[in-house]
Amino acid sequence: MMDVGRHPKIELLTYSEIENVTGYIGNFHVNVRKKARYVDEDACTACEKCAEVCPVVAFDEHQLGLASRKAIYIPFPQSVPASYLINMEDCLGTNPIACGKCLEVCDPKCIDYDEKDSIIELDVGVIIVATGMDVIDPTVLDEYHYTEFENVMTSWEFEILTGPGYVTGSELLRPTDRKVPKSIGFIQCVGSRDDKRGHPYCSNICCMNTVKDTLYLKEHYPDMECYVYYMDIRTFGKQYEDLYKRSKEMGVRYIRGIPGDVEEDPETKNVIVAVENTTTGKLEHHELDMLVLSVGVEPRVETADIQKILTLSKAPDGFLAESHYQLNPIDSPTGGIFLAGCCESPKDVKGSVTQASGAAARAERLLSQRRVKVEAITSEIDPDLCTSCGICVKVCPYKAIRIEKKKAPAEVIEAACKGCGTCAAECKFGAITMKHFTDDQILSMIDAMLEEKPEEKICTFACNWCSYAGADLAGLSRIQYPPNARIIRTMCSGRVDEKFIWYAFQKGAPVVLVSGCHFVDCHYIDANRWTQKRIEKIWDKLEQKGIRPERLQLEWCSAAEAKRWQSIMRAAENLRKTVSKQEIEETIRILSNGDKPKTKAKAEAKGKKKPKVTAASSE
Amino acid sequence: MAEEAKFKCLRCGHEYTDTYTPGVPQERTCPKCTSNSVRRMKEK
Amino acid sequence: MVEDERRIGVFVCECGINISATVDCDEVTEYARTLPDVVFSIKNRYTCAEPGQEEIKRFIKEENLNRVVVASCTPRMHEPTFRQCCADAGLNPYLFEMANIREHCSWVHHDRKEATKKAKDTIKLAVARARKLESQEELTVPVTQAALVVGGGIAGMQASLDLADAGYQVYLVEKEPTIGGLMSYINKIFPTMD
Ligand SMILES: [Zn+2]
Repeated sequence: MMDVGRHPKIELLTYSEIENVTGYIGNFHVNVRKKARYVDEDACTACEKCAEVCPVVAFDEHQLGLASRKAIYIPFPQSVPASYLINMEDCLGTNPIACGKCLEVCDPKCIDYDEKDSIIELDVGVIIVATGMDVIDPTVLDEYHYTEFENVMTSWEFEILTGPGYVTGSELLRPTDRKVPKSIGFIQCVGSRDDKRGHPYCSNICCMNTVKDTLYLKEHYPDMECYVYYMDIRTFGKQYEDLYKRSKEMGVRYIRGIPGDVEEDPETKNVIVAVENTTTGKLEHHELDMLVLSVGVEPRVETADIQKILTLSKAPDGFLAESHYQLNPIDSPTGGIFLAGCCESPKDVKGSVTQASGAAARAERLLSQRRVKVEAITSEIDPDLCTSCGICVKVCPYKAIRIEKKKAPAEVIEAACKGCGTCAAECKFGAITMKHFTDDQILSMIDAMLEEKPEEKICTFACNWCSYAGADLAGLSRIQYPPNARIIRTMCSGRVDEKFIWYAFQKGAPVVLVSGCHFVDCHYIDANRWTQKRIEKIWDKLEQKGIRPERLQLEWCSAAEAKRWQSIMRAAENLRKTVSKQEIEETIRILSNGDKPKTKAKAEAKGKKKPKVTAASSE
Repeated sequence: MAEEAKFKCLRCGHEYTDTYTPGVPQERTCPKCTSNSVRRMKEK
Repeated sequence: MVEDERRIGVFVCECGINISATVDCDEVTEYARTLPDVVFSIKNRYTCAEPGQEEIKRFIKEENLNRVVVASCTPRMHEPTFRQCCADAGLNPYLFEMANIREHCSWVHHDRKEATKKAKDTIKLAVARARKLESQEELTVPVTQAALVVGGGIAGMQASLDLADAGYQVYLVEKEPTIGGLMSYINKIFPTMD
């Protein structure tokens, strides 16, 4: 920590938050809000005189409220920067009549009550996100009478009670009578591995943390009875199993079974635990002086803000998603942004440090190149056709399109565009060209596909990263399926324009299949949400026109789901067999008339253009 | 706010009730055949 | 289209017997020649191997090809290889297209007649697309020589130190008044217990 504070190449901005980030790989512009500390951090000598005179007693966040601090304070003795700050919500008042005591005693004169937040602007080429994780709030779950029984605490509170910074020194005293407890129990997986209460995932660190705590206790208090109640003890890390063994050898009792409930003895304030020992099948009762809930961890609430500001993706568990699980686990899906530590998933210290070094190496690789090449698959806007309606700005997952002034045509920031093509698919005015995946190129492929015997073919769109790759894996695994699908590859299913679908039906396609990534896997953050919305709209229109909506199928298939691809192919082929030549002819007739849907769709009431079935200009 | 709605699978025809939040797209999977071609049926 | 004439070459890969076992590669190669703007087609044992690539380069020059279609495996594997091959022969890499007749065809269909039919269609689609391909230039942008690290916990500190030690300017932004993160709450760290 000291090294970070001292390093000449590191500018430390504490008590600061990222407000806004614009730009793209190699060229990010960042606005940081540095909150007022009311104490000059460079001048402060941490002499403590100010805190001595401060009359306010406030809740000490850093001790989880187990201790108090003053309104002017330093978070903990080794803080970097080693400077006090004032919490203005606690402070009595800054004019001399109200208080102003700290100002009087401050020798270096570093207190300034009028300090304001400042905005710092930075230009950087790379960003490493290391926003960490949070501990589950035990009061929300309130398991095992946590809020009611004083001698029930969380593992993090236990950490404070045994920590060197705590008022009792390093002696563990139980809250009710301030005596060293004779017996203690730990309940594992509180808030973890539970779909209903807390989180479904394993929090990774709690088993080892408890093993560590029991070793600490057994070293200091060899006679203390220790119980650990668990479902599974997970000690997969290097040397971890040894520690677990040592803990058992030192007499810690590991009981396989999670207590249903606990009671408190009203006299002694002891906690009585009833647990079914699943190894012996017997019900056991343990009277304990103290009970520790080994609580899990969760994504920080602020992760959502950072995710928005940096256009990152979130996995279903709420942690930030990496670019590729195995092949690219450190890069975020946005170029030039890397993930380190627990913002990506719960980790122990070693795991965090390892990933951080990896992220630094990935960032350095980019920095050292000095120039970076960006794929030419980007979108282009024709300013003459653009009406500045703003839909492209809205759908772009990367904020790569901007409208500078009102009514000015939209512009693409080429280096920020990732090439999903959603903007081109959503533009109602044909103003956007997706380079290398143009309308003309795709419509020509549909023409070629359906020129002969269209009734035999399933017009299939597959996104490059998931469904196309899933089909590749089916091949690699030699999984057989009907041969009727003809695949058109797009980078993202978001590229599949409504007019491609209408054109395919007009050219006699019995079935059109649009396939893409599962929501969590979308390579373009959330571009495939637009695919779904679009398909839902087309289903309605098909129905209005008297065409069976099921002839347009939507499927999500990951790169790993070869079997799923097979079942999708089979289902599509079964469906194709139900579409007769007459039905296809009828569809062509309906669509060639270019007639409006029979009932008025909402979109039209708003005066939007109807889907134009334009003949491809392929010839 | 989540609302209840009827959904129909366009692969197997299965109909079921589920919650949805207007304006928030959600990945839907037919509980019977696992297809994602699940359509929300509007009330008549 | 400004170019006066499109000259497409189709290279059909047998991939040893990976493709030729279920797809009639001779028939497919013949068929490819009948497609619009295709002026040349040839069958290779392994298009991705050195001799196969040399052949592409040679025929780009000899036949004056301005579009290349390779019918072989998935573009997710060898597209970069063949793009580079085209670039070496002086053809813009974006004028290259692939038809996947292995993963999406020969490996997933046993029926030789059906697989050959599908392979032909797949090439037809690729040629249709190739006719419309245009040269693209890749943009290069400078990289600002500084890094932002968001979060001053153990991971953020480590990443900052690594980058700073490598000589880069680092801005470390931390929400709290001190760096340290969750780590600073912890008493001892497993497994070394210090
Ligand atoms: Zn179904």
